[in-house]
Amino acid sequence: MRALTAKLKTAGWRQEYVLVMLLVVLIGVAGALDPTFVTARAQLKLSENIWGLAILALPMTMIIITAGIDLSVGSTVALATVTFGLSWHQGVPVWGAALLALGVATAAGALNGFLVSKVKVHPLIVTLATLAAFRGIAEGASKGKPVTPLPDAFTQFGDTFAGIPVAAWVFAVLAIVCALFLGRTPNGRFVYAIGHNERGARFSGIAVDRILFLLYSLSGLLAGVVALLYAARRNTASPEAGMGNELDVITAVVIGGTSIYGGRGNIVGTCLGILLIHETREFVRWYWSSDELNLIVVGSLLVASVLAHRLLRFGKK
Amino acid sequence: MSTLSTVDSPPAGRLRRFADGLLVLARSREYGLLLLIALTVVTVSIKSPDFLDLGNLRDILEQAAPVVVIACGVMLVVLTGEIDISVGSLMGLLAALLALLASADRCAWHPAVAILFVLLAGAAVGACTGLMVTIGRVPSIIVTLGMLTALRGVTILTMGGENIKNFPAMVRFLGTGEVLGLPVDIGVAAAVVILTGFILVLTPLGRRIFALGSNPHASELIGLSERTIKLFVFAYTGFLTGVATLLAVGKLGNVAPSMGKGRELLVVTCVVVGGVSISGGRGKLRGVVLAVLLMVMMRTVLTFMEMGPEATKWERAIQGAFILLAVVVDHLASRHHGSGR
Amino acid sequence: MESLYWPLLAQKVAFITRPEDVELLNSTMIELVKISKAFGGTQALRDVDLTIRTGEVHALCGENGAGKSTLIKCLAGVVSPDTGTMRVNDTDLRPGNVRASESAGIAVIHQESVVFPDMNAVDNVFVGRELRTCGGLVLDRPAMRGRTRELLQRLGEDFDVSCPLSDLTLAQRQMTAMARALSMQCHTLIMDEPTASLSERETHTLLQLVRDLRGDGISILYVSHRLEEVFEIADRVTVLRDGMLVETLDVADTDRERIIQLMVGREVEELMHRHGHAEAEHEVALEVRGLGDENAFADISFSLRTGEILGLAGLVGAGRSEIARAVFGIDRYTDGDVHCFGRPLRPGRISDAIEAGIAMVPEDRQHEGLMLPMTVQENLTLTMLHSLTRGPFVDRAREKELVGKALARLMVKTESPQSVVSSLSGGNQQKVVIAKWLATEPRVLILDEPTRGIDVGAKAEIHRLIRALVSEGMAVLLISSDLPELLTVSDRIVVVREGRISGELAGTEATQERVLELALPDAGRGAP
Repeated sequence: MRALTAKLKTAGWRQEYVLVMLLVVLIGVAGALDPTFVTARAQLKLSENIWGLAILALPMTMIIITAGIDLSVGSTVALATVTFGLSWHQGVPVWGAALLALGVATAAGALNGFLVSKVKVHPLIVTLATLAAFRGIAEGASKGKPVTPLPDAFTQFGDTFAGIPVAAWVFAVLAIVCALFLGRTPNGRFVYAIGHNERGARFSGIAVDRILFLLYSLSGLLAGVVALLYAARRNTASPEAGMGNELDVITAVVIGGTSIYGGRGNIVGTCLGILLIHETREFVRWYWSSDELNLIVVGSLLVASVLAHRLLRFGKK
Repeated sequence: MSTLSTVDSPPAGRLRRFADGLLVLARSREYGLLLLIALTVVTVSIKSPDFLDLGNLRDILEQAAPVVVIACGVMLVVLTGEIDISVGSLMGLLAALLALLASADRCAWHPAVAILFVLLAGAAVGACTGLMVTIGRVPSIIVTLGMLTALRGVTILTMGGENIKNFPAMVRFLGTGEVLGLPVDIGVAAAVVILTGFILVLTPLGRRIFALGSNPHASELIGLSERTIKLFVFAYTGFLTGVATLLAVGKLGNVAPSMGKGRELLVVTCVVVGGVSISGGRGKLRGVVLAVLLMVMMRTVLTFMEMGPEATKWERAIQGAFILLAVVVDHLASRHHGSGR
Repeated sequence: MESLYWPLLAQKVAFITRPEDVELLNSTMIELVKISKAFGGTQALRDVDLTIRTGEVHALCGENGAGKSTLIKCLAGVVSPDTGTMRVNDTDLRPGNVRASESAGIAVIHQESVVFPDMNAVDNVFVGRELRTCGGLVLDRPAMRGRTRELLQRLGEDFDVSCPLSDLTLAQRQMTAMARALSMQCHTLIMDEPTASLSERETHTLLQLVRDLRGDGISILYVSHRLEEVFEIADRVTVLRDGMLVETLDVADTDRERIIQLMVGREVEELMHRHGHAEAEHEVALEVRGLGDENAFADISFSLRTGEILGLAGLVGAGRSEIARAVFGIDRYTDGDVHCFGRPLRPGRISDAIEAGIAMVPEDRQHEGLMLPMTVQENLTLTMLHSLTRGPFVDRAREKELVGKALARLMVKTESPQSVVSSLSGGNQQKVVIAKWLATEPRVLILDEPTRGIDVGAKAEIHRLIRALVSEGMAVLLISSDLPELLTVSDRIVVVREGRISGELAGTEATQERVLELALPDAGRGAP
């Protein structure tokens, strides 16, 4: 065992390799138990559930790298959904309503960003508060009732484009942009610097406040995008949208190798983390049709992945 | 720091002194909360005098009882610089356990045994969390996030998706009984608050809890056992979650698989609004107790203000607004006090 | 005044009245034999033999990385040595256990004030060793409170012990840390750079305290870079180099040059000459007029020309760092203005300062100057990454080239530019910070305590660098609490006293006495 871990350490042990290995094992076991699970068609159909979370995980990765967190994404989705549904219901043309929803979502993210960067409140507290506040406003304004059905011109975006769900295209583009931003641009490196040492970053002339504000605003904006994608696919605008999403997203990001303390992580890892959770969940649902089992598995996976990471890195912190 | 004289022109000076006074009030979180509670009570009772009815007040206290019990535990956890967001799911799990053991429809164990079991189980799960945080070195936000998900899954699975009723008298007594005119659940909650206060103020352990949150590095240098202290606070929280479960189930007489859902948000809100610093090392128990009273009161207030049945939907928004208010006030107060570096 | 350490000492010696009695006994209090300790691949200590006698002040000197901190941590029980034995008072000391070291009578005052800012002085003194009643369960608060006040009075302090430490001054916090050590009924006190954050007056009080303790029969292991202090109070001095004990000398039999030689292992020429610059044709690089904020300083005016080094002197807490931070834009100011080469700078805008050509090397290099987990290369390019781009992306080739040049110019010793910067020594880390800022090609360089905690060799190199930069036309604002350094390096000195400028001295007329005179608060005012 020691020899193996020593070898892994010299090979530059990274969370990504472990995740790939786990995925291979998972697909192998799943395929053995039920070959229909691993067909391309099945996978594509199942993937419809994951694109929303995947998109939300992109800004979340960057926020967690800055040693922050955004617990309010799920609630922001709800807020945007309700804004969309209610305004369309009140007679605003559907694209105007969509734009309004995006605006509200971005403003919500901007509020988080403002409180974190200018008022300097701890992100956990800010987003805990907005998690409650945004969901509350969504529930209150909509009186708990969803708006359905929605116009066809809109819901067609819940469908596929060239055989692949629209949401998947959106995700692919965003993922590439974010990965390039984080890995190759100066501001991307600054994001890591902020996570390592915010004070030092400020002292080095990095525009910390601006970067944080933009990251949280982006998180809001993308939550709005996801809200619209959900609404298009399900043909309904409900205040329940996005419930629990924040936990799933944070779980995926952390499993993907991003450290909750900041300074470490990347988009590829996050994608692998999402994939792992997705495949695990869908297979459990497919084979054992148990949602509860999923909760247990995902929760344990989260803790186990960090534990494994710690144990295999003994000596380093 | 340095003694520079600032010359105030008279009108600006008076305004500044007034603002100073307000901010001093804000700095003492307890006075601010007390003021808010008093304001709320007065406003509501003007609109509906039924609010001051003894039965209603007792109801508020009974609702607050399980919340304040858990909040005592979470407060200690946050003081050491950690966090525990799994308490809601733990409550659900322990409720399911209690139901399965004590209900006449299930195992129908002797209620005293079932109660003891539940308390021990709570402490055990808490200790588990503590072990993963101290020895496993997994950040507490991750452990308790994982627990929040996993324990809820276990709860739903073991309950088979049904509600369980038919609890023995001893259990119901905890939630609905009275001793010498004092409701048992309020009495238990008061006892827990007193115990926690005692630990914090009068024992060495209390000092060390504050020290750990205030400066973890220094604590290590002077030989404080981070492991033991954190293990204790997590186990204590688990135990207290058990106590709260007993009170809640005792009162309701019915357990659903969704029991406790969202509690962690309420508890953490109360702890933060109560003045405990999220980075640890600072906070007063009386602030937390007042915050619990305020938050729980909000729920009843909405009904009394006759804002319609949908009004309760705004409860969460109000919770969120309160945290923000508390935090912004904190920030302004500390900024005004100036840097004492 | 009755000694607080009577009972312990009585075990060992019959009756001590005079220091001479202790010398007659010549007994060993602490004996370290063949102590070695390695961390990962580095050998921090190598077969160190050290003895500390009862009632002596034993100084420990050495460059950064020589092993002093590791030795202290071994004695304190924070780490346990790989080989060797430690004996205290003729009994073996259990290694790696803080409690064991404390019960053995060893108290440590660490370099980073071991302090709990949210708790008050009483808790800070007693946490971990609380006084109890009622069968050990309950705190004996009145007793702890009384004892704390007693100890602080002995240290010449008289502040409110129920105040949280974050409300006290830096010196008061240091004194609380000291009170904690004194409360531990120790017979050996280890002090690690105790005067690093103290003013001249407080240093004086501290050194007197050290003498008093020695008179009581306490052994003191005094670690310091300040050789003046070593010669003032130590009986013997041990020099470490590269983890090994070089020599232990009687202080009376040696001098400063010899100790430096032993520390460095070679002859080092310290920069002792002075320039007399400030030619009128040099333009005004930085002009500060009437600068003030509500808190730390007011009515600050000075000007800085190219090709000159302006030293900013003053007691710790006088406001010098605050002024520098305000000029650079880290903190906002409320009155006055700052002009750089005639260009006005907006308050609180670091970007303005950088664009105008100002760079600032901050006081705390680890927390303000560097990203410890990042590589040397990443740290170096942090300030000007925006200009190393090709399109939206970072140009890796240009980055590498720039880094190579910078490292060579400053002679930074590192395994590779991809090494993590936390693995470098203090002196090399500071060079990286300086290099990082030089990369922005500034015309004004502000240095806040650039050689604090750095060994003599690296210090001289940095002084040489500053001189070289200035001869190329750089304007330098130097803040330093090391008065000799300030006097030798600066062309002019401006003295700050309690947030205001109390005077300005040309290089030729500046002496330690005159600077202190201007820096100390007026007689007749209460102690700050």
